[in-house]
Amino acid sequence: MHISDGILEPKWILFWFVISAIFIALGLRIINKRIAADPAYLPRISLIGAVVFVISVWHIPVPVTGSSSHPVGTPLASIIIGPFATVVISAISLFFQAFVAHGGLTTIGANTFSMGIVGAFGGYLVYRMLKNISPLWFSAGMAGFAGSILTYLTTALELALSLNPGNVMHYWKLYSLGFIPTQLPLAFAEFAFTGYVIKYISETKSELIDAQGYGISRFTKTALALMVLIASVIFVGAYFGYINGGGNAGVDGTVETLAAPAAVSNGIGVKLMARLGEPVGFAFVGITGGLVTGYFWSGARRKS
Amino acid sequence: MTDTRIKLMVSFLLIIAITSMKHWYFPIAVSAFCIIFAHKFGILGDYSKKLVFPFVLALFILTVQGFTYGTNIINIGIIPVYEEGLEYGFLIFSRVFASASVLILLMLTTSENELLDSMRYFGIPITIIEISSFMSRYIRTFWGEGKKLKLAQESRCGFSRNAGFTKQMQNIASISGALITRAFARSEEVYRAMLSRGWKPDLKYSIDCHPLNKRDVVLGIVLSSGIIAILGFDRLVT
Repeated sequence: MHISDGILEPKWILFWFVISAIFIALGLRIINKRIAADPAYLPRISLIGAVVFVISVWHIPVPVTGSSSHPVGTPLASIIIGPFATVVISAISLFFQAFVAHGGLTTIGANTFSMGIVGAFGGYLVYRMLKNISPLWFSAGMAGFAGSILTYLTTALELALSLNPGNVMHYWKLYSLGFIPTQLPLAFAEFAFTGYVIKYISETKSELIDAQGYGISRFTKTALALMVLIASVIFVGAYFGYINGGGNAGVDGTVETLAAPAAVSNGIGVKLMARLGEPVGFAFVGITGGLVTGYFWSGARRKS
Repeated sequence: MTDTRIKLMVSFLLIIAITSMKHWYFPIAVSAFCIIFAHKFGILGDYSKKLVFPFVLALFILTVQGFTYGTNIINIGIIPVYEEGLEYGFLIFSRVFASASVLILLMLTTSENELLDSMRYFGIPITIIEISSFMSRYIRTFWGEGKKLKLAQESRCGFSRNAGFTKQMQNIASISGALITRAFARSEEVYRAMLSRGWKPDLKYSIDCHPLNKRDVVLGIVLSSGIIAILGFDRLVT
């Protein structure tokens, strides 16, 4: 489910554009490096991107509901062309999809984040974790399942943050529950679809999914895996804290004393926390700060 | 014919303005204008079909807000409905309706090639434009190819539409997999064709776009001012 124009507040439109732009820039950097090393990569990624776009708008049968819907497609794309390239392809696809009234122009940033970033990276991470310990079709299927669920959880979060900023966690849960009747069966369909497609490709043209690295350095991969792991721990911890009614008691004091003893009381951090709520605010700050620091750390160290 | 760049800029500004509006009647007025335009251009059928998806999402939000947000309960008997939630939900609904209407009108009156052409003017990186150009061309090709494969599959035994979920999924996945492997093979041919036409990875493209003509600039300024005025008016109304 893509978010249409007119739903998100302008500040959230800008926020998601900025976050997605960072990932698109990283993706472009990797694609340009690959094109410089192997110029045939440009038509290859474009044509495979076009096919993934086509099959992601095909309707697939959805179990239980007896209806049909279209798959997310980004977990499949991330297995074939890599997660960073998938972010760029998703942004372009979403631009085209906006013109068939699927999604919108102003919500490309938000939809790229949920589908192209969270869906692709989440799915790809699951695929890589399961690849060596389970059959290929199963790891690919689980990537499809996880990518689909994560995409809809993120879409629900984006809606809650923009529409109900005063009670984000409650509305995140409500929107997620609202999506479940259609999206959970679709996630099972995505599991079967991604698993079968990867199985078919592995039997007919295995070199397509055996390509190593996708131009991502080992450092970036480790940083990304750590980022997702730490973010998940923060999200889960914050959520359990929230449902247990703890309200993250004690976090403020520790952070203020140890990390920022001279923090300005009306600074951007405080405003951000007030706006997002502490669990989501801390998670966002952690993800963004961790990604930026982690990605440029080795370069900065080499220069110094 | 209005320049695509002006159409894009004005549409984007109008959608942002609609998203910022505080009263439902301004977006509804914009939607009404769009319906009149669609009727005038004879595209009302296409316009209505494309509105279905945003309409469903807007209804979902209206329902969630109506049943959960606010303090003033409207008693309808079985489930409590909140007045504030309904008001806010309807505002979002009207914004979605108006924004989607603007976008659909833009899409129905602008070709993909015109849109891709205008990308350079907005400073989009050349790699994105190249990938977009390839994608827009091959989406149609593979769409047709996929339909042919599906038709061929259905004409053979064992590919019934009445098959169970697992069998149907296997059938769809085999077409998808075949399309992906074909795309891979075709990309090699496309690359050879590019080389034979003198393409190089470090090829520099001209970044100059043809300038906007005065009439379009004036139209753009007038429309933008109008949008800002409507937004200002929306803010002034209590």
